[in-house]
Amino acid sequence: APPRSLRRVLLPALALLGLAAAAGPPQTPALELAQELAEELWSAGLPGDLPELEPECRSLLAAFAEGSAALTGCLGRRARPVRLCQGCHGPYRRLLAQYGSIARAVGNSSESHNCAKSILTSDRLQIVVTLSEFFNETWEAANCANCLKNNSEGLSNSTEEFLDLFNKSLTCFEHNLQGQAIDLSPNNYTEVCKNCNETYTKLNDLYNRLQRMNRQGGESAHSAHLCIDVEDAMNITRKLWSRTFNCSLPCSDTVPVIAVSSFILFLPIVFYLSSFLHSKQKKRILILPKRIQSNANLVNIQEKYS
Amino acid sequence: MANVAKKVSWSGRDRDDDEDGRAGETTPLLNGTGPGAAGSARQLTPSSFLRIGQLSNVDLNEEIHELETELPRQRPNEIPHNEKLLSLKYESLDYDNSENQLFLEEERRINHAAFRTVEIKRWVICAMIGIFTGLVACFIDIVVENLAGLKYRVVKDNIDKFTAKGGLSFSLLLWATLNASVVMVGSVIVAFIEPVAAGSGIPQIKCYLNGVKIPHVVRLKTLVIKVCGVILSVVGGLAVGKEGPMIHSGSVIAAGISQGRSTSLKRDFKIFEYFRRDTEKRDFVSAGAAAGVSAAFGAPVGGVLFSLEEGASFWNQFLTWRIFFASMISTFTLNSVLSVYHGNAWDLSSPGLINFGRFDSEKMGYTIQEIPIFIFMGVVGGILGALFNALNYWLTMFRIRYIHRPCLQVVEAMLVAAVTATVGFVMIYCSRDCQPIQGSSVAYPLQLFCADGEYNSMATAFFNTPEKSVVNLFHDPPGSYNPMTLGMFTLMYFFLACWTYGLTVSAGVFIPSLLIGAAWGRLFGISLSYLTKGSIWADPGKYALMGAAAQLGGIVRMTLSLTVIMMEATGNVTYGFPIMLVLMTAKIVGDYFVEGLYDMHIQLQSVPFLHWEAPVTSHSLTAREVMSTPVTCLRRIERVGTVVDILSDTSSNHNGFPVVESNPDTTQVGWVPLGWPHKGWLQRGTLTHSALLQVAGLRGLILRSQLIVLLKHKVFVERANLNLVQRRLKLKDFRDAYPRFPPIQSIHVSQDERECMIDLSEFMNPSPYTVPQEASLPRVFKLFRALGLRHLVVVDNRNEVVGMVTRKDLARYRLGKEGLEELSLAQT
Repeated sequence: APPRSLRRVLLPALALLGLAAAAGPPQTPALELAQELAEELWSAGLPGDLPELEPECRSLLAAFAEGSAALTGCLGRRARPVRLCQGCHGPYRRLLAQYGSIARAVGNSSESHNCAKSILTSDRLQIVVTLSEFFNETWEAANCANCLKNNSEGLSNSTEEFLDLFNKSLTCFEHNLQGQAIDLSPNNYTEVCKNCNETYTKLNDLYNRLQRMNRQGGESAHSAHLCIDVEDAMNITRKLWSRTFNCSLPCSDTVPVIAVSSFILFLPIVFYLSSFLHSKQKKRILILPKRIQSNANLVNIQEKYS
Repeated sequence: MANVAKKVSWSGRDRDDDEDGRAGETTPLLNGTGPGAAGSARQLTPSSFLRIGQLSNVDLNEEIHELETELPRQRPNEIPHNEKLLSLKYESLDYDNSENQLFLEEERRINHAAFRTVEIKRWVICAMIGIFTGLVACFIDIVVENLAGLKYRVVKDNIDKFTAKGGLSFSLLLWATLNASVVMVGSVIVAFIEPVAAGSGIPQIKCYLNGVKIPHVVRLKTLVIKVCGVILSVVGGLAVGKEGPMIHSGSVIAAGISQGRSTSLKRDFKIFEYFRRDTEKRDFVSAGAAAGVSAAFGAPVGGVLFSLEEGASFWNQFLTWRIFFASMISTFTLNSVLSVYHGNAWDLSSPGLINFGRFDSEKMGYTIQEIPIFIFMGVVGGILGALFNALNYWLTMFRIRYIHRPCLQVVEAMLVAAVTATVGFVMIYCSRDCQPIQGSSVAYPLQLFCADGEYNSMATAFFNTPEKSVVNLFHDPPGSYNPMTLGMFTLMYFFLACWTYGLTVSAGVFIPSLLIGAAWGRLFGISLSYLTKGSIWADPGKYALMGAAAQLGGIVRMTLSLTVIMMEATGNVTYGFPIMLVLMTAKIVGDYFVEGLYDMHIQLQSVPFLHWEAPVTSHSLTAREVMSTPVTCLRRIERVGTVVDILSDTSSNHNGFPVVESNPDTTQVGWVPLGWPHKGWLQRGTLTHSALLQVAGLRGLILRSQLIVLLKHKVFVERANLNLVQRRLKLKDFRDAYPRFPPIQSIHVSQDERECMIDLSEFMNPSPYTVPQEASLPRVFKLFRALGLRHLVVVDNRNEVVGMVTRKDLARYRLGKEGLEELSLAQT
């Protein structure tokens, strides 16, 4: 088994492996919550002839509440390691639809029964709008659109490919670590570096390629990022690779660099010295002004220089 | 003996200034409005006790030399270049209209409606100035962005490759060679084709607006070299910016458009002929300078104020409004073109070549407690700026004295470029400051020895164009740089920028100054937040901005315009007050040590620059002591031969000649030199008349350029009598020759024509400004400066010419460390 310290590092990474297969979070708690909410909503009907929420509006609101609860749960559970886009695109899409149906829904013919109006804009807090804005912003910030298909159903091909490769390299790491002797010091991971180099390089290259493609595609600064899942996965792998395993050891060739740079830095000294010694100093020829000699106590330039 | 002296001096001049020869062909009016050497054709010396002052070695006639031997002889010698010189190379511009008969006739012919057309034309020209300046700015920006991007990508790929395999010294060589070769091209075009395009161009434009004619400064060729030079030096990775040169470019564009023709291209569009004189051109040049500033910083108001600050002696309200219009058009053009280029057409939110970005987040606010801190930063900026200027002063002096050959200048520029790359590389190589690549907006993240997914933080500062580095320093979130990186960067960049300014490449000092200031300002901010245990208000970006302002203020010492430029570039009016405080402090502290960089360079170039006021302790001097005397005068009806001789006399290369007429009643014998009239004049067949000894009253003033046009068109009295002249000379003939009047040598005057007479009364300015001999220097100075004069005649109480005051006579007096100093004139 790998040493304890390594296990701690690897745990989050390896946990990803298991999660990749899981489609979504367990449904039951969210459903219960929504049920409760709906009941509350029904009981909160106002007495008398005061205007209250239309039944169809209530059901829309309940659906939205349910959807946002589900999405919140999903986001929270997938916060670390980040798998938001892969896991939560379903709930997000559903929530979008629910919000859309509220915004578009027109109740009965009369103006006052418009669901959109009564739910979205009839109070100061406008909680539904706030919630929906929050989800949208989070989604935007995570840049999830980048690794989903255009119709946002499922992951795009390049993302699938990347995750595939990512899983492969993690498996490779695990294998090689398991294969090692128990007593090896934690800093010696040469085996891993040697065996997994190929997969890692492939992964790295793919990531760089994705990034380049992305940069060429979009102009604005925002779309320059890949989606958070991919970025985070790459980050974890890179950290493991260069920090934990210490695999990327660049050759440092200090001596030639010092030699070349001191040669270049030496050149100006030679240049200035030689131009000081050999170049003829530029002389100015003084022209004496024609003017009346005055007794004024001025600094006489001629005296100064003669 | 005289011949020897003459030979030495003139050959010396030829040897020293080989480009001067070229300048001579095109701008004939070089050398000496005022005091040249003695030996003029006729000397009207009012009274016998006045003796000619010293006579220089460039005399032409031996007799005067014989005479001179009696005088205490101080041989004017060759001295090394120093700051206390005035060069004869520089002429004044004619900011005062010559109000001769032709001019008055033309003005009378133009009716009210025509004046309105002229006014509309002015507006059209201003709009065109704005548009073209904006377009040039766009061109520079786009080309620099692409070329620099290409260069950094190549170097980055190379470094990435060699980091894995080893052999980073090759990357270093590649980087240094790329830089040096690009800079070589940029320096070659400047050094060999148009040396006046070197530097930022702001000192030159300042001189132009002051009224000094710098040869070639507003030529099309200069513009082309300037634009290419800027692109190449920025791409070559020097510690320079492309903002300063925009001001020069704008001015050239303005001067070109307002004339409606290009002498370089030999195209005359026959438009805007009314504006072909110095007075009108100057107004447009100030509009062009404003448009340049406005395009460079996205600061239209700053641009107007820049023109106001630098050229304010000739100013009025309508002009200001027009200039503001040109500025606005310029920044608008830049905006729209860049927005189309960046793909979001008609989004006009990228004003200026450098955009400091928005400073409007909450933590960017400031409180009253921070004011003392800002003032302290101003002090630091002033001291560092003074240090920068002092170092640059010594360096420039060395360059003028020893590195004056163009090939040496090119080699120097290449070396600086190579060293800049090397220093950058070594700093990046040694730095261990790694930052995560995620969430940062680094254009060319260089990994080098950092872990995968991280980049070298030093590389963001060095491995980037200076503009981007400045913006990074302002806006990168706290913690993006560690203090060690910033400290090393400030130190290195300070010396690099100081070393770079004054090279023979066209490049500005604004951005490097801002960069140095931003680096130490950020360092200051970081240490402040460290001291205060991470208070929210100690945002390093804010201090980076203040540091940048302090450093720039400490170096260039601009006040009003710089405050507004910084304010507009940040887009935050509330920063106006702290920026103003910082700039004020920096200027006060800096002025205590040395003067501003631009003034220093103007002085080192020996330009006769007139400041706002005469030196404060100069009240004891009167016009009599200041003026040059004796004066070469012409008579109202003069012999052609005499005129030609006076004009071709190289030793007294005057540009303005008082026209006199003898009063028949007051004939007085003046001071007659021994052996006068002398052989030299006799041999040339121009026997001087006895009339020269008569006292003659001032009737008018005529310029060399006017005389040349007259000679060229052979406007002689005899020819007019014989009906040989087809038409009368009009003002248009003078304008067509402007601004490059042919040299006198190119005008052929036959032996017969020499005997003809020429009548100057129609062409001279009959009402030149005069002062009495007793006027004090400050009074003369004020008149001269406020009216933008070129010649000021000194007369005695009988209206007889006793002397002439020109720009060089006034600029000679300067307040030095030990009181009033007098500069000497020199041939450069």
